[in-house]
Amino acid sequence: MGLTAYIVRRLIYGIILLAGVLVLNFFLIHAAPGDPAETIAGAMGGATAEMLSGIRAAYGLDKPLLTQLAIYLGHVAHGDLGMSYYFNQPVISLIAARVGPTILLVFAAQLIAITVGVVMGVLAARKPSGPLSAVITVLSTVGYAAPVFWTGIMLIILFASIIPIFPVDGMTSARFSGGFVAHVVDVLYHLALPAFTLAIIFLAQYSRLSRASMIDVLGADYVRTARAKGLSETKVVFRHALRNAVLPIITVAGIQFGNLISGALLVESVFNWPGMGRLAFDSVLRRDYPTLLGILFFAALMVVIANLLTDLSYRFADPRIRTGGR
Amino acid sequence: MTKPLLSIRDLKVEFSTRYGHVTALNGIDLDLLPGETLGIVGESGCGKSITALTTMGLIPDPPGRIAGGRIVFDGEDITQADARRLRSLRGAEISMIFQEPMTSLNPVFTAGDQIAEAIMLHQSANRAEADRMAVELLRTVGIPEPERRAQSFPHELSGGMRQRVMIAIAISCRPRILIADEPTTALDVTVQAQIFDLMRDIQQQFGVAIMLITHDMGAIAEMADRVAVMYAGRIVEKGSADAILDNPLHPYTRGLIGCIPVLGKEAGQEGRMPPLAEIPGIVPPLHLLGQGCAFADRCPLAFDRCRTESPMLKGDVHKVACFAAEMEAA
Repeated sequence: MGLTAYIVRRLIYGIILLAGVLVLNFFLIHAAPGDPAETIAGAMGGATAEMLSGIRAAYGLDKPLLTQLAIYLGHVAHGDLGMSYYFNQPVISLIAARVGPTILLVFAAQLIAITVGVVMGVLAARKPSGPLSAVITVLSTVGYAAPVFWTGIMLIILFASIIPIFPVDGMTSARFSGGFVAHVVDVLYHLALPAFTLAIIFLAQYSRLSRASMIDVLGADYVRTARAKGLSETKVVFRHALRNAVLPIITVAGIQFGNLISGALLVESVFNWPGMGRLAFDSVLRRDYPTLLGILFFAALMVVIANLLTDLSYRFADPRIRTGGR
Repeated sequence: MTKPLLSIRDLKVEFSTRYGHVTALNGIDLDLLPGETLGIVGESGCGKSITALTTMGLIPDPPGRIAGGRIVFDGEDITQADARRLRSLRGAEISMIFQEPMTSLNPVFTAGDQIAEAIMLHQSANRAEADRMAVELLRTVGIPEPERRAQSFPHELSGGMRQRVMIAIAISCRPRILIADEPTTALDVTVQAQIFDLMRDIQQQFGVAIMLITHDMGAIAEMADRVAVMYAGRIVEKGSADAILDNPLHPYTRGLIGCIPVLGKEAGQEGRMPPLAEIPGIVPPLHLLGQGCAFADRCPLAFDRCRTESPMLKGDVHKVACFAAEMEAA
């Protein structure tokens, strides 16, 4: 199967999946207790029965649920995610203003987790019963067990009061001035702690996985062949073994994207990162259904795109998938 | 007598296992002459692959360790060589092909890449030259359409072709010794014959000495000039291939030869096949080896002395380590 046909097929699956996500989320949210009309009215102060029914009529909340769904899907198909009940702004512009920081955070965390995790795993695999191996096992168990909000708070305590070298709040410095490069540096500086916090839990998984995968691959016949050629140990490990050992890591990295995004929403709240997490949190509390649905839709969209990228990189990394062999 | 290219003297290799130290090789003496084929034969676990890997300097250490003896290649004791020196020998002077062609090639690199890698490592060739030489080598080992096959990944090649690629890698730097560890065991019978033909061609063309490791006496009969029979980490019989096949002295060797299936006219009258022979029992685990001859428990000729004393390898050209054989000869 050609690459283009493959991508087209995957995109069609992705669209079907996203439509499913929309419908499911729509029903889930409407199954939740509470009346959004009261929330909308509540934000404006006390409300009479007429006001409430007026609000319901204005927002289409008096129509049957299936009709509401059809209207919503029709709007989404035209790129309209509706108006936020609370902010009274189009949901799409609310999200557009916040999706960038979230993507930045998620990708930075994923990059840190994969790079550091794989390096740790490879080093541990070279001496499976050595001290580094033991350290990694303990660290990764702790990293895996600790909830991200707790890790985040601990890091805030550490870096806010004990060794204050990293900013613990926001995305840019309040009194910021300077050019583009300085701005990038400033953002990366603010990114360090949230990204590391989010990375820890995944780093733990990747280091364990790459250790196991690497131990497996180092025992493979082709690694013996590489040694028999007279290659240096560095080339054997990083050229011959690692190329094969990363294959399962790519798979897991793709699967983890969803968890990474939900983790990001928590981390954003802890570090006051101006992404979709804060918005999601607020819209849950305020029963701001259109915003919440929009955020969930965007999260699903990001997962679908990330999975497509994962599959494409898998095809790139493993010729057996590329050419349809065993 | 020709000066041996490789001579192994009193080689001892130990492994630390959960049963304590076990001796995987216990005083091996072997000579490999330039351009000859030396067969090393024995069942699984007798130490033949360990002999090969030790010669390549590829024993995993730990748990393995050379506990004594010398391996002299072209006047240099390679048991004393450092890792860098061993790497410059491996693949260049001494190369090896393995039992499992299906898994011995790296699945993520093309056949051509894997050959070119060895060439660039040991010869002063740039990428383009190495690629060109890789295609030539594929032609040499009898792969059709070598230009196209150089671009193939291992999973696109059959087992026989993969073993040909392994052979191309092994001979890419014109080594003087080719160690073949059960090179045909995983292949179909017809492909086995082709691979042996190829190995013979290559030996004639390049003058390489071959150390052929196998459990198959049929392969020995076809390929080997001289033979060493191994059992439980020792050599129990050694001599020319003709002498050993025609007149095996050790009961273990006789057992191995008895295991070659006989077909056709030789099979006896009325086309009935004689039952396939076997050697009863298995190679004893190395940590359970006692004082006597390791084969005594499975030997039809064993007597009391065999269980208390270990026989030494004795004889002129055709040597054997067996008390029963000594008595027969006397």
